[in-house]
Order: sequence, then C-alpha cells, then structure tokens
Amino acid sequence: MMTLGRTLIVTAAATLAALQGTGLIARAQSASPPGVSGAWVPMGAGRGVDPKIAPPPASPVVLKPEYAKAYDARRAAEAEATRRGEPPASAAVLCNPYGMPRMMSIASYPIEILPTPGQITIVTEAFSEVRRVYLDQPQLPIDEVPPGYYGHSVGRWEGDTLVIDTVGIKESVPGYNGMPHSSQMRIVERIRLVAPDVLHDQITIHDPVVLEKPLTYTLGYRRLPNYKMVEFVCENNREYVDEQGRVKMRLGK
Amino acid sequence: MRRAFVTFLLFVVAAAGSRVLAHHSFAMFDTANPVTLNGIVADFQWTNPHVYIELDVPEGVRGAKHWTIELGSPSILMRGGWKFNSLKKGDKVTAVVSPLRDGQPGSLLTRITLADGRMLGNGGPAGVGPGTTEPGPGAVTTPRP
Repeated sequence: MMTLGRTLIVTAAATLAALQGTGLIARAQSASPPGVSGAWVPMGAGRGVDPKIAPPPASPVVLKPEYAKAYDARRAAEAEATRRGEPPASAAVLCNPYGMPRMMSIASYPIEILPTPGQITIVTEAFSEVRRVYLDQPQLPIDEVPPGYYGHSVGRWEGDTLVIDTVGIKESVPGYNGMPHSSQMRIVERIRLVAPDVLHDQITIHDPVVLEKPLTYTLGYRRLPNYKMVEFVCENNREYVDEQGRVKMRLGK
Repeated sequence: MRRAFVTFLLFVVAAAGSRVLAHHSFAMFDTANPVTLNGIVADFQWTNPHVYIELDVPEGVRGAKHWTIELGSPSILMRGGWKFNSLKKGDKVTAVVSPLRDGQPGSLLTRITLADGRMLGNGGPAGVGPGTTEPGPGAVTTPRP
C-alpha cells in the first residue's frame, strides 16, 4: 500500500508539473467568476435609472490641437448637413461593422459574454461582431498586431473586475463619438458587476499621438435573462451614398 | 428572471413611440409631416439591416401608387411585437409613415394597422442613454442631444 501511495503521489506531482508546463493551471486560476456570462443590453444614465447603478459621465475628449480643429469642423459640418435633411454617410450605412470600441455601445442591441477556460468571447447582436479576449497572456507589441476592427485583446481578473487590454485597431475604424485615433491607440476596459444584473464597462482610451490626455467613459448594461441573440446578416441594404456624399434610399418596385 | 425580461419588453413598448434613428440618420425622412397610406402589401422583406414593406396604394381610376416603407431591423421589431410573418402579400393595411423629403415614394414607418386590427409601431430599443451609446443599425431610438 505504501508503494502504491508513493506511486500515486509521484504521478500526481508529475501531472501537476506537466499541467503547469502547458499553462492549464494558470488558465484554471483565472476562471471567470459567475455572473458576467450571458446577454446584456446597453443601459444609459438617462431618466429613471437609479443613480447608484447609472454609468458615470464621460471625461471630455481632449484632442491635440492638430487633430482638434479638423474634428470640430467635421462634427459641425455633419450636424449642419443633417439639419438640411442630407445626412452624411457613415461606415455603418454601408453595413461595415463598428469595430472596437464602438461595438460595445450600440444602442438597443445586446451583447453576449461567453467565458470559457482561457478565453472570454464577446459577441454583439448588431452586425454579429465577435471579439476574443485571451486570459492571462502577455499583450503583443502594438506594431506586431495586424491592424483590424477588433485588434488583439488580453485579459485578466483582478478580483471581481475583468481588465482587458486591446491594441491593433485600424486607424480607419471610427473612434468613440467619431474621434480620430492613431495606430498607437490602446483601449483598457474594466468590466465588473455593480449590481447582480447590472454590468459596467469602464473604457479608457490611451492615444499619445492624438489625445492630450486619456479619455475615460463608462458603459452600462442590464442583464437579459434567457435572451436568445438574433442573427444579423446585412443582406438587404437599401441605403447608398450618392455623388454628393448624401445617404439615399433605393425604392422597391 | 422572467420578470426582468418582461420589464425589458415593457421598456421596449414604451420606447416604441419615440423618434427614430438607425444605422443611417433618418434626416432624409420628413417626420413632421406624416402621411397615411391605405394599401395592399406587395412584399414583406424580413431582412437586415432593415425590414421593408412594399405597398400598393390604390389611386382612383389611375391604378395604384407603389410605396416602399422602411422599418427597423428584425431584432428591434421582434422586441416591439413583430414577427417574421406578421404581414403577407395581399394583406390590407393602413400605415402612417414619414415620407422622403425628396418627394420619392419612399418612407419610414411610424405605425401600422394590420388586417386583423392590431397596431404595431416601428420596434423599440431598451437602455438608450445619453453620451455613451451609438445609434444602432435599424434601431428606433431617441436622438441624442
């Protein structure tokens, strides 16, 4: 029996060492706390929302002067065109997905958070966008990430808070409130439950090229129990952009 | 659990009468001058990013005028009580719409009365708040200040 017991201990130790070698132990340690998985719908800080769970106001967008002038002029021109009934085209008119970070804040469309060992996947209903957050892995240098809509995200649990670091967002992907950003943008999210059915995602945008100082805003979500995400395939887009850059609608016959 | 979802649905219904934005701005529609269309459904397209009703509206002896009516997305509409088969070809309906400003027979739905008397709006969202949310594709939302 002693021999068998010793064999078992040796085997267990060897298995543990092997698991540590493959990183499986580290992944198990960062298993997601229960509560964040499932569907969530954006919740603002509007009328009727309990101030205790309402997302706090965003900090102002402070662009460097060389970017601020063009940004302000563009915003004013867009507002004026909309007032004339000639709304300017946005990427979404062409059914291009939002990308990070706007995909997290699409009014009225739920997101779904899917924790699995070593990874958290976030799926949005609008345009069926998908982002994958790799847990407990080092972030890649920005210049090694192929620029894209979702970039490269790594995450870790700090107690009850999921901290996600994202880099590698294409410069052509519109930023928060349409603000410009550079290839050096870094998005840091702190996601946590502030009530059993209310989630906050505090997003901080770091961009040493475009921003005078980091920008922080918080998104709120309400849990949608048993919600089944609806598919979203952009197959019948009747909107198009005419020669003057105005959004028009194709009519049926 | 169920109560939360019911609350969500109630919010959706409450929001259904609000003004509209979508994956494009709806400024091309004249929301201040609605038009009532009594017609026959020629087609009902349950698609993204928008659902469409093609409607033939009889016009005296000259025949019918064809209207295209844009709605929210299926996701938004489902949360407002719509189903993929809420309408079918040949249904007689009454639709209140906001017409295109350029005079073309295209429009945005405000509300519709179905053949069986049920009334449906243009869907409705939940959780829209100022400052931190973007108008979604096909979403029926209260415009941000």
